[in-house]
Amino acid sequence: MKLSLPFGLFSGREEPPKETIPGKALLWLIAAFAVLLVPQWDRLPVWLIAACVVLAGWRWLAQIGRVGLPGRWLRTGIMLILMAVYIATVQGRFTVDTAASFFVLAVGLKWLETRSARDFYVLFFILVYLATVNFLFRQDILWALVNFAAIALLLVGLQTINAPDLPNAIGRGWKRLGLLMLKTLPVVILLFVFFPRMAPLWSVPMVSGQARSGISDTMRPGDISNLAQSSERAFRVTFGGDAPDYRDRYWRGLILDRLDGETWRQGDSERFFRPGRVAIDGGVGDLEPNQYDVLLEPTDQRWAFALDGSEAVSDNVVEAEQNLFRFRRPADSSVRYRMALGNVAASSAVQGLSPLEQRRYLQLPAQGNPRARELAQQLGSQLSPEQTVMELMRRFREQEYFYTLRPPAMPEDGIDALLFDEKRGFCAHYAGAATFVFRAAGIPARVVVGYQGGDAGANNEYYIVRQYDAHAWVEVWLEGRGWVRVDPTAAIAPSRIESGLRDAMADEGSFLENELISPQRYSDLQVLQWASLQLDRINYQWQRWVVGYQGQSQMDLMSRLLGGVGMKELGYLTAGIVGLALLVAGLVSALGMKRGARQDAFRRVVSSWHRFCEQAGVPVRAGETPEALAQRLSRAVPAVSESARVFARAVNNHYYSASSAPASADDTRRLKRLLRTMKRQRRNGPEPVPEIRTPPNE
Amino acid sequence: MGMIKQSVGRRFSRWINRRIPRADSVLFSQKNIFILPTGAGVVFGILLLIMLITGINYQNSLIYLLTFMLGALFVGAMHQTHRNLSGLSLSLVQPGEGVAGEDIPFRFRVSSGKDDSLAISLSVEDSRVAGIHVPAGESKDVTLPVPSAWRGYLRPDRVRIETRFPFGLLKAWSWVRPSSAGLVFPRLLAAPEALSTLEDGPENAAAAKTAGQDEADLRPWREGDLSPRVMWKRFARSGQMVVADWEAKQGSPHWLDFAAFPGVDNELRLSYLAWLVQDRAAKGARFGLNLPGELIEPDSGKVHAERCLRALAIWGEEKPRDDDARAFGTRRKLDRAAGGGSAV
Repeated sequence: MKLSLPFGLFSGREEPPKETIPGKALLWLIAAFAVLLVPQWDRLPVWLIAACVVLAGWRWLAQIGRVGLPGRWLRTGIMLILMAVYIATVQGRFTVDTAASFFVLAVGLKWLETRSARDFYVLFFILVYLATVNFLFRQDILWALVNFAAIALLLVGLQTINAPDLPNAIGRGWKRLGLLMLKTLPVVILLFVFFPRMAPLWSVPMVSGQARSGISDTMRPGDISNLAQSSERAFRVTFGGDAPDYRDRYWRGLILDRLDGETWRQGDSERFFRPGRVAIDGGVGDLEPNQYDVLLEPTDQRWAFALDGSEAVSDNVVEAEQNLFRFRRPADSSVRYRMALGNVAASSAVQGLSPLEQRRYLQLPAQGNPRARELAQQLGSQLSPEQTVMELMRRFREQEYFYTLRPPAMPEDGIDALLFDEKRGFCAHYAGAATFVFRAAGIPARVVVGYQGGDAGANNEYYIVRQYDAHAWVEVWLEGRGWVRVDPTAAIAPSRIESGLRDAMADEGSFLENELISPQRYSDLQVLQWASLQLDRINYQWQRWVVGYQGQSQMDLMSRLLGGVGMKELGYLTAGIVGLALLVAGLVSALGMKRGARQDAFRRVVSSWHRFCEQAGVPVRAGETPEALAQRLSRAVPAVSESARVFARAVNNHYYSASSAPASADDTRRLKRLLRTMKRQRRNGPEPVPEIRTPPNE
Repeated sequence: MGMIKQSVGRRFSRWINRRIPRADSVLFSQKNIFILPTGAGVVFGILLLIMLITGINYQNSLIYLLTFMLGALFVGAMHQTHRNLSGLSLSLVQPGEGVAGEDIPFRFRVSSGKDDSLAISLSVEDSRVAGIHVPAGESKDVTLPVPSAWRGYLRPDRVRIETRFPFGLLKAWSWVRPSSAGLVFPRLLAAPEALSTLEDGPENAAAAKTAGQDEADLRPWREGDLSPRVMWKRFARSGQMVVADWEAKQGSPHWLDFAAFPGVDNELRLSYLAWLVQDRAAKGARFGLNLPGELIEPDSGKVHAERCLRALAIWGEEKPRDDDARAFGTRRKLDRAAGGGSAV
């Protein structure tokens, strides 16, 4: 397989002949490749990483002469085998991940074909694009730094291949690259700020085959307890005003209202949204006291998480039914959106439920869990809906129910087993069971899935909600009050709702028991906590202001800086910046040239001698030796003949002497003196010529 | 098509020649440095465009950032590559001498200005010297072999100086159009007389006696040769008028004569003479050179031999003028003449 880059462009008459790659340069290229693979380590199949290591290692061994590079047949064989393995692994799926692994495979195979300087450049280009692809997957500041470091390695490698025999090439290469980057930094920043962020030219959904951790749109008992073992970040929130209390931070994500055997699902498939532009920004202006700003990690879903009674502020979220929020496009990269806490009273309390909705929120499977149904009928026949809810909560609170990450298996009639036998479960168990009982008692009810709580980040500037904050709870419809939140977990394990899972699991010791390296697990190590929070804060700012600097936030910044600029003006502005930068660079270089010319005093004396000759009526011919010029000058102005001859000899000695030292200040001074003498002689007639030192080789 | 290309090429050449006057020494500056992306640079530009489109389509700020960074580096590199050459001066210190067909070493001096000049290459026709590094304010002498085609003055029309440092994405180049020319001696061809052996022993001896010499060289007859010198026996046998030319004894002067090869092409004569000069000089003989219009008195030694060779090199040739915009004696010229016969 040949990578189809336009090779024709490289062939030119003036192109230097094919050269072998200096080992030093190749090493940099291999190093950059290794660094670029790191951000992809968890996406690439293991065999591919192994193959890349072997292929690049082979290339290096060939470079130092331990082994030969494979011939054409062997190379074709290796290629076919790896392609076959690739096809077997991919199995016809086309996702961003499979595309990325194909790309990596191509780079790996290219190593065996890298023989000439041209191949080196081909690899350079591919690796630069690999860095670009990496940015699609990882935007954390640390990964970005890794990527930029790889680019720097590549650029040092390029310098090495262009001057392999330069003494101390590497050190000077780094220095040169650093200076160059420093000099161009202002332009880069200006371009980054002002370059118009256009809408995508064509719609490119990023289909990822990788399962993201996060809540899903179905819930079986036990689902969320798996999620609770992960300390991955779900989203971060900044509140414009005071944050609600921990126990009130219920982040609603989606509603599951159809019980299908053991599994809770979404009743209606959500309305279809046309994939629009990826609006990952949502920050416009300062946060109002009632507003909050969420930066959601990629979920590949359209669910936006919001507190009870929120309204959408940024235009990348739309309100769906049931006071839920949806993105216009799946969140395949991190998304920032802004919400406002509205008036809670202004919910849909005034309206009753339609018959359709009644049916929907009372739906139950035809059979199963007889004891729970019996309990529900018993409660429902004696008590009002409100009292029924209170009674069930009291039952949860007062009886020996346990909140545990290690619930027993309850395969048959799970709700009965949970409520009457085992009495051990996680939030999903209890939420499902409670909804079942309410519905059986004739109270419209639904399961709500989302997150609850969230820990404060560094300096309490914002809150971090992690996957272990995932939660499920219940909403019941009460006549006159509308949908009311009921959380069985709050009754069973109040500490979970008051301060989070860590405290709730303190006795059991099961908090993050499988995540040995998570800093969240070691809450008693203050230093570690502090460092992890600081890192998160840097990352958060990076995500908000650099990664998230997109269309809306650009427009916002522009309107604040300049007032009323559109895309077109930004385009002009960008062109202006580029033009100005080029102009400044040109001016600086022109000034530098002038200074350089001024510095060469010797050359200046010679050219003023030339001017003198011209004034004396002796035009200077191109390529004439100084002596010839002096002769012609003597013929025209006999008075200066002696000094002109000495002058010419000195100039000649300088130009044609074997020693390559530049003219000394002394030489230049003597020449100046001679020139002055010549000028005097031309006015006054001959006079003795000052002696001039003659180099020994004359 | 070809004609248009040729005419554009000529126009371009004239324009360059105006910008770079003929001189042995050139100081490179904005005025005479040309800079363009290399093939790799063009691909790099396309890559940046693809990256920008990727950034736009995935609304990825970091890809924007990377693209802008690399783009700015590219422009910065343009500056660097230019500066690598600007302020540098290139002088032809010593045009070389050598035998036709060989590569003649021309010595150039590369003096850098206030910036380092790194990874400079000099090239002429298909000959190239690369990897010249000159730190700021220093000079370095470089010998560039210039491929020669035939005898005469050797003056490449342009010697190209180029650098692609630091990244190889851009090339800055210029030319020096040397005014001085090197000399190319005629190709050395063993003169036929020297190949022939003396076979007519008795006659030789007699002839030697008459000429008062003891060793003879044979050569074809030419007008003015004395009749006793003609080897009549040989004439009777083969019909060739051959004259016995008597080899100089130690110390006795001997003339190498242009007219000694009647009926032979001028260039061939020069080649024979050049060989003879080499041969005599190697033997340490005394000899003079008689060319039409130029006479070099008999002498011996290396300097004398060189003088003779130079005389042979430029005999009948006109010194290249500064306003002559063509190459003298380089091999490319020969190739072109052989290839299509287009007027040079």
